[in-house]
Amino acid sequence: MQTDELERTLRPSLGDRITSVEAFPDTAGRVRFRREAALDVFRSVHALGFHHLSTVGGIDWVDHREVFYILWSDDTRQYVVLSTDVPASDAHVESATPVWPSANWHERETWELVDITFDHHPDLRHLLTPDGYAFHPLLRSFKLHEPEELEVKARHV
Amino acid sequence: MSEMWINMGPQHPMTHGLWNLRVRIEGEVILDVDPEMGYLHRGIEKISEDRHYNEVITLMDRTCYVAGLAWEHLYMLAAEEALHIRPPERAQYLRVLCEEFQRIASHLMWYAAFVQDIGLMSPFLYGMRDRDLILDLFQSYTGARMTYEYMRAGGVRNDLPPGFTDRARKVLDWLLPRFHEYDQLCLGSDIFHKRCDGLGKLSAEECIRHGVTGPMLRSAGRKRDLRRDRPYAVYDQLDFEVAVADGADVTGRYLVRMEEMRQSVRILYQVLDWLDRHPGPVMADQLPRWLGAPYAPVGREGYLLKRNYPKGVGFSAIEEPHGEALAYVVNEGGEHPYRVKFRSPVFANLAASRHYLVGYRVADIPPIMGSVDVCVGEVDR
Repeated sequence: MQTDELERTLRPSLGDRITSVEAFPDTAGRVRFRREAALDVFRSVHALGFHHLSTVGGIDWVDHREVFYILWSDDTRQYVVLSTDVPASDAHVESATPVWPSANWHERETWELVDITFDHHPDLRHLLTPDGYAFHPLLRSFKLHEPEELEVKARHV
Repeated sequence: MSEMWINMGPQHPMTHGLWNLRVRIEGEVILDVDPEMGYLHRGIEKISEDRHYNEVITLMDRTCYVAGLAWEHLYMLAAEEALHIRPPERAQYLRVLCEEFQRIASHLMWYAAFVQDIGLMSPFLYGMRDRDLILDLFQSYTGARMTYEYMRAGGVRNDLPPGFTDRARKVLDWLLPRFHEYDQLCLGSDIFHKRCDGLGKLSAEECIRHGVTGPMLRSAGRKRDLRRDRPYAVYDQLDFEVAVADGADVTGRYLVRMEEMRQSVRILYQVLDWLDRHPGPVMADQLPRWLGAPYAPVGREGYLLKRNYPKGVGFSAIEEPHGEALAYVVNEGGEHPYRVKFRSPVFANLAASRHYLVGYRVADIPPIMGSVDVCVGEVDR
């Protein structure tokens, strides 16, 4: 499946709920969607044969955060990437577990490390970090070094 | 009889690593399970954001400590795509050589541990003995037995030493009849069948619903292998069969892994022949100097300015010994990757544990979890 074919298939049913379908290396493409329409998009993409959810992850772009979902179809033997942007001040998106139960642990991990809440998740608890751990290590604001240490390192390189 | 929760772990012979399986039982019957992970969480994805691209390789060996080279390969495929580098063909063959040897080593380690779990003691020694031969080969060309740090953005660190391919063929010639011995030891044993047949069933549909991949999925009869379905590196030029079994149970997973080792041997013979016939460079010519120490061999390092180096994203998926592994590398133009995300196959296989454990007995947990082949390093990352 090519990227334009993917767009032709998804666009009629989803309309402007998807903002763009763009090329992404070695996959069928990346579908960017509005987060309010998350469940509709999940169901449409699942109906296309993408039954296997490989992973869910998040990226902190400082001004906003991105949630991405990587899916695999046994029919076309391709991956597809879904992605949506959420504002950093109000980072939440609908959970994908009703459509792909395998999203469960991946969303728990994304919730604790990138601080993105998944609404209606059946079991949103800490997975890799201890209960009550108040930090979100994969945010850019979580620094591994003190600033002066970083400077020394930069000069050394 | 009343219900209760028991902890199997973090220190328990069944876990093979540091994690805790909380089990709710009534008498001997498992009602619910809740794996507790994170004891080995080192934040590999976060540390990667603070390192040069080549320095992340060190972490990859530690992500999965029984399949380090497979993880190096996974990361390198994604990082090279993000950095717009293409390795020479000989380097790709060398990487496949690493990955397939690593697959056999990982499966032998699994065999040793799993068979010991179900009460057959001597196969443990056989499995470890044969794995050691492969580690010796690794040592002869990477210099290490466990933390190899062999691959680099743009290729591999060094070529094979003289006489390596003949030594490797000798090891393969030795291994092939051993698999037959393993089968006789296990499949000919009543104890093995009584402890494994029909346990931990998970149908192909359930596997896909819950994200289970690798030998667990193939033991349910589904022929999904990324080396075949979505060939990376040079797998499209190699001839092999995808191992499948039916039964979807512990015995099925045993059969799949045994067949996979035979197929890996088959691939390795082809790779060794190719390497003999095609000498050449193992490192790309033009490499950004800022990739990080250690640099490319003297005379081969190109010099590209970091300034205006194109951005990019890299995405790769490989069939790791445990299943489908993914890497996603975002290059925002800096010296370090902006974000690195890994998908570990064991992570998803463990997440589905409720669906293949509930309803069985407590004494069935060691064979079932043994057949999952848990590597905590890659679950917790």
